[in-house]
Amino acid sequence: MKTAATSLAEQIRHIKEAKKFDIRSGALPTWCPGCGYFGIHQGLNACIQELGLAHHEVVTVSGIGCAGRYPFFTSNYGLHTVHGRTLPVAQGVKLANPDLTVYAVGGDGDGLAIGGGHFPHAARRNVNINYLMFDNSIYGLTKGQPSPSSPVGMKSKASPFGTLDKPLNATLMALTYGASFVARLFAGDPKGITEALIEGTQHEGFAFFHIYSTCLTFDKAYKTWAHLKQWVHPIPEDHDPADLRRAFDLVLGDDFSTGIIYRRE
Amino acid sequence: MPKVDITVEVCGMAGDGTIAAGGLVNEAMSLGGFSVLGFDSYPAEIRGFGRCVTRSRIGSNEIGALADETHILISLDDLQSRSRVPFLARDSAVLFDSKPDTLLEEEQSLAAVVEPGTALFGIPFTYLATAATGTSRGRNLAALGGFAALFGVQPEWFRRVITRKFQSKGEKVLEVNLKSFDAGFHYALEKFADRLRPSFAAANVVAGPEKVMLSGNQAIGQAALDAGLKLYFGYPITPATPIMEFLAKYLPAKGGRVVQMEDEIASVGAVLGAFYAGARAMTATSGPGFALMTELITHGVMAEIPAVILNAQRGGPSTGLPTKTEQSDLHAAVFGGPGDSSRIVIAPSNVAECYSFTVQSFQLAEKYQTPVIVLTDFYLDNRVENVVMPVASEKEKTDGNLYPDESLQGSYHRYLDTESGVSPRSLPGMEGFAYVATGLEHTERAQPDYTPEIHTKMTGKRHRKLQYALEDLPVPVEYSDGGQLDVGIIGWGSTFGSIQEAVNMARERGWKVAALKITSIFPYHEKEIRSFMTKCREILITELNYEGQLANLIGHLHRKEVVRLNQVTGVPFSPSAIFSKIEALLQAGVS
Amino acid sequence: MTARHVVIIGNGPAANEAAISLRTQAPDARITIISKEPIRYYKPHLLPDLIAGKVSEQDLYVNPLEFYKENDIRLRLGQEVVHVSFATNEVVMEHKEVVRFDGLIIATGGKPRIPEPLQVFEDLMLSLKTLSDAKVWKERLRWVDSVLIVGGDLTSLSFTKAVLSLGKKVYFILHGDSFWPVRFNEELSSEVSQRLSDRGVEVISCRKILRLVMASEDSVEVETDGRKLRVGAIGAFFGLVPDVKFLARSGLAIERGIVVDEFLRTRFEGVYAAGDCAQVYHPKLRDYWVSIGYRNARNLGRVAALNLLGGQESAETAPAGIFQLDDISVNTSWWTEF
Repeated sequence: MKTAATSLAEQIRHIKEAKKFDIRSGALPTWCPGCGYFGIHQGLNACIQELGLAHHEVVTVSGIGCAGRYPFFTSNYGLHTVHGRTLPVAQGVKLANPDLTVYAVGGDGDGLAIGGGHFPHAARRNVNINYLMFDNSIYGLTKGQPSPSSPVGMKSKASPFGTLDKPLNATLMALTYGASFVARLFAGDPKGITEALIEGTQHEGFAFFHIYSTCLTFDKAYKTWAHLKQWVHPIPEDHDPADLRRAFDLVLGDDFSTGIIYRRE
Repeated sequence: MPKVDITVEVCGMAGDGTIAAGGLVNEAMSLGGFSVLGFDSYPAEIRGFGRCVTRSRIGSNEIGALADETHILISLDDLQSRSRVPFLARDSAVLFDSKPDTLLEEEQSLAAVVEPGTALFGIPFTYLATAATGTSRGRNLAALGGFAALFGVQPEWFRRVITRKFQSKGEKVLEVNLKSFDAGFHYALEKFADRLRPSFAAANVVAGPEKVMLSGNQAIGQAALDAGLKLYFGYPITPATPIMEFLAKYLPAKGGRVVQMEDEIASVGAVLGAFYAGARAMTATSGPGFALMTELITHGVMAEIPAVILNAQRGGPSTGLPTKTEQSDLHAAVFGGPGDSSRIVIAPSNVAECYSFTVQSFQLAEKYQTPVIVLTDFYLDNRVENVVMPVASEKEKTDGNLYPDESLQGSYHRYLDTESGVSPRSLPGMEGFAYVATGLEHTERAQPDYTPEIHTKMTGKRHRKLQYALEDLPVPVEYSDGGQLDVGIIGWGSTFGSIQEAVNMARERGWKVAALKITSIFPYHEKEIRSFMTKCREILITELNYEGQLANLIGHLHRKEVVRLNQVTGVPFSPSAIFSKIEALLQAGVS
Repeated sequence: MTARHVVIIGNGPAANEAAISLRTQAPDARITIISKEPIRYYKPHLLPDLIAGKVSEQDLYVNPLEFYKENDIRLRLGQEVVHVSFATNEVVMEHKEVVRFDGLIIATGGKPRIPEPLQVFEDLMLSLKTLSDAKVWKERLRWVDSVLIVGGDLTSLSFTKAVLSLGKKVYFILHGDSFWPVRFNEELSSEVSQRLSDRGVEVISCRKILRLVMASEDSVEVETDGRKLRVGAIGAFFGLVPDVKFLARSGLAIERGIVVDEFLRTRFEGVYAAGDCAQVYHPKLRDYWVSIGYRNARNLGRVAALNLLGGQESAETAPAGIFQLDDISVNTSWWTEF
C-alpha cells in the first residue's frame, strides 16, 4: 500500500494502539530450526511495521514448498495456492483491489521450474505486486532434490551422480524480463531485506526480491550458512540502480553482490 | 397463414462480403418479425482466403436448431458454392452471378452442377452493382436485392438494416450499398416477374418487440458486462476468443479490465485471486485450456474461492477439432481434477440462456464459494439468434457474498461448518477477519489439518453446499403434454434445440414423446429428473459425444438401462437423426 | 467416334430421344442436356388438352427428374446457350460459362412464327408453343368469351377444339397461304373452312388485318379489310421457325432450319441437328424437308444420336409422313416451298 506521509503517521498510531505491530501469527513456523527463511520472515515483518501497513490490508500469496507455508505464519490475509501459480493469483488479488499490498512469496522450484512461465509475464505486465523468491537451490519440502538453481554436479538422492543442468540466475532473468525493480538479498541479513522491501513495496510496479537462503537440513555442501556468509557482499556504493546496462554488468560479473540492483520509475 | 421455415445460405470466397450479407439477411428477417437462427462457417485454418458460408434458418415459429437442408442458396462465388449443392432441398432456389468478370469453365460453374429441380436465378450481381454505383463492391448487396425481390421480402427491411450497418462508414459507402441493393431488387422483380416465390410475404408475420441478433458468445460477453464484471483474464483459444475480444472492447468503459494472460493456468489463477479479493472476474476457454485449469479449479473447490469459468466445448481430446462442435467435456467439467472436487456446472442451451446463466453464474459462485463452470459449445457460441435484448434485473446482479458478522471479529472461523456448508467469507481489507485460504485440508479456522475427522467433516461440508445450491440452480424444463410417454428424450446444451424439433415432428404424428432439458449438469435435480423418467417407457439421452457423458451421470436414475444416441461428427445433431431414433424405439416397442 | 462429352442443346422430344439413345449405345459417355426453359421435358402436343382441362400439368411431363439421375444424364434447366464455337468445340452460356463438347446435337426446336406484316401487332397476339404460353391462355380463357385465331397451322386446329370445348366463341381468319408449313390449295382450304364452320367457328375471310387495338383489359378490337369485331383474345398460329438465333455467327448454314444431310450431320464434325430446328436433305426428293410433330422429332433425335456414335442411319427411313388431324390429312414431312 502506498500511503501519503500524513496518513502514514496516523496509521502507525492506529496499529500501535491496536497492538498489531507484529505480523507473526500464533502458528509456529514448520521450518527447521536455523532455516534461512526465519530471517526473511523477520525482514518482511519489520518492513510492514516500518511502513505501518494495516495487517488486514496486506495479502501474502504463496505456492507450494517450504516458502509456500509462509502465509500461515503471518496475521495478514493469506492465499496459499497450488504449486507454481503464486504470481498469477497475486496479480488477480492486486488488480481486484489496488488498495491491498500484495506479497507473493515462493521458492526457487515454485518460481523457476513449475511456475517459470509466469515470471516473465508478471515482470513485463508490471502489476504493482512484490515477489519474494526464497532461493535455497533445493527442493526442501520433498526432502532434497535438485532445483533449477542448483549448481552443476549437485549430488542428491534424485541425482546420485550429480546434476547436469546449468543453474538459472533469477536476478539476471528478472532484468532480462524487464522487471522494474530488482533486488538481490541474503536471508542472513534481515536488515538488508527490510531496507530493500521498504523501497520495493513503495515502488509502483512489479518488484522482485531474489533472496539467497540456505537449507541446512538437505544442503550440506553448497549454499550453507558458512559458504553464503563468505560469498555474499554488498553491491558497490557507486552502483546506479537506474542504469540497466550497469545492472547487467554487475549481475553478469558477480553472483553474490546484494542490494537494489535495478529500479525504473 | 402459411408457416414459413426456410433456410437461406450465402456462400462465397473470403472477401466477397459473404458474412456481411448473411448478417444482413438475419437482421432484415428479424426486423420483419421472423425467428432467425444463423450460423456462419469460414476457413478454420488462417489462409486469408477460403470458403465462407452463412446459414440462416428463418421461420414464422420459434426455431431451436439449424435444419438439414437449404432452400435458398445465394452464391457469391460459383466454385465455392458448388460444395453446397448436396445440401440443397429438392425444390430449392439458387441465386448466382450470371455475368461474372471472366468466363467460367464448366468445372468452376455452379449452374453446371445444380440439380435440375433447383430453380436457377441468374442475376448479374457484379454488373448491376457496378452499373449503379461505379464499383463492384456492392455486388453482395445486389444479390440481397435479388433475394428480397424473388422471395417476397420487404425491401424496406433491408434498407433499414443496411443503413444501420453502413451509416457510420460514411455517406458514400452507404449509398453504394443501398443503390446496389435496389439495382438487384428491381432487376429480379422484372426479370423473373413470372417466377417470383413470395413465400415470406405470404407468411404475414407481424413484427413484435424489437429484437437483436446475438451470438452465444456475444450474449455471454454482454451478460458479464451487465453482471458487473471487473476483471477478465484469458488466453486465446477457439471458440472462446470472441468473448475476450468482446470484453476487451466494452469492459474498459465500464471501469473493468481485460488482461490477456500467458496461459490458461494463469488466467484461472488470476480469476481466483480476484474473487478472493472480492471482485467479479471470469475466464473463458475451451477443452485444452480447461484441462490446464483443472488443478486450480480444484483449488477453488478446496479453498472455497468463487470463480466463473466458461468452457466453450469443441471436438477433443487434446487439440482435437478446434472448429467443430462437441459436448465431450462434461466429465472434465464436473469431475476433472484431483480429489473429490465436484463443483457447480451449468449448461445453457440457447442464446437467451447464455445470457441469463452467465449473469447467474457470478452470484452462484459467490453464494456457494466454489467455481462455477458454464459449459457451452462451438455451435452455441457461434450461432446467432434474434432475441429481445436481455436485461439482468437488479436482483440478479446483487452481490452473492455472505460476509461474517462484525461481532465475530477476532474469533472468525472462515470455514465454519454450517448446516448448508456455506460459511461467511471475509475479504482482504476487513479488519479482524484475516485468514489464509489454502488448498491444504484445513480446520474451520483455516489451519492445515490432515486428521481423519477434519477431512471427513470438511469434505462433507464442501459437498453439502452443492446440494443446497440446487434450489438456486435452473431446474429441468419439461416439454410434454403430460400423461404416460413412450419415449422421453433428455438432452443438454445446444443439442436440445434439435431434440425439441424432433419431438415436435414426433408429436405431429400423434406419438407419445416428450423431452426434458437439463441445464444444471451438476448438481442435478434428481427428483425432477426421476419424476420425468417415471412417466417414460424408454429414456433416450442424446448428446454430442462418444461416451454418453450425461447418460453416465444421470442414467442410473431410470429403472432400466437408458438408450443413448451419440454422435461425434463435429456438427450438431440434425433433428431428423433424432426423429429416426425415436421411430426405431417406438417400433421396437411395438414388436 | 467415341464421344466423351456430348452436349445436347434443347429439351424437347428430339433432344430427349437423342439423350436416351446415346446413353443406351454409349454407356460411358458424359451427356449434358441444356435447356433454356426452366421446366422439364413435356409433351408439347398435349398443350391444347391442358388448356381444355382434359389433362393436368403433371400428365404433360414425360420423365421424372430421377430418370436423368439414374441414366447419368446431366440436365441443365433454365440455362441458355448464347454462342457455339465450332473452332474450339465450346458452348458459351448466357451466364458466361464455357462448356466443352466432343459431340453436339442441336435440338432446340422452333419458336412461333409471326409473318412480317403482323409483327407490329405482336404484343396483342398470343401464341402457343410452350407450357408457359399454355398457362397464359388458360388464365386468359377464364375471363374472355371469344377468341380470334389468325393464320392457321396444325396446332391451331387442336387449339380451336380446346377453346370450343370451353364454350367460347371462336373466330378464325384463315390466312390463305399462311398455313405453314403446308401450302393450302383451294381444295384443302375450303375443306378446313367447312369443317371449322361445322363446329361452330365463325370463319372470316379477308385478305388483310388492318388494325388491332387494345380496347380494354380483356378485349381487342380487330379491323380487317371487310369487317370490324371485338374479341377477348387473339391467337397467332403461323407455324414455327427454328429457334437458332444463338448460332447466328457460328458458321453453320441456316435456312428454314439448320442445314443437315440425310444423316443429320452439319458441316462440322461431330455436330448434328435434329427435330424442328433441322432442315434435312431428302435424297429421294433431292430436296430438303423440315420435320414437325412429336413423333418426327423423336425419330430425328434418335438418328442424330446413333450417327454421332458412328452409325449411318438415314433420317428419311422413318418419316412419319402424314398427320391425321380432325379427319384432315396433312402431309408434313416435306417442304413445299422448296
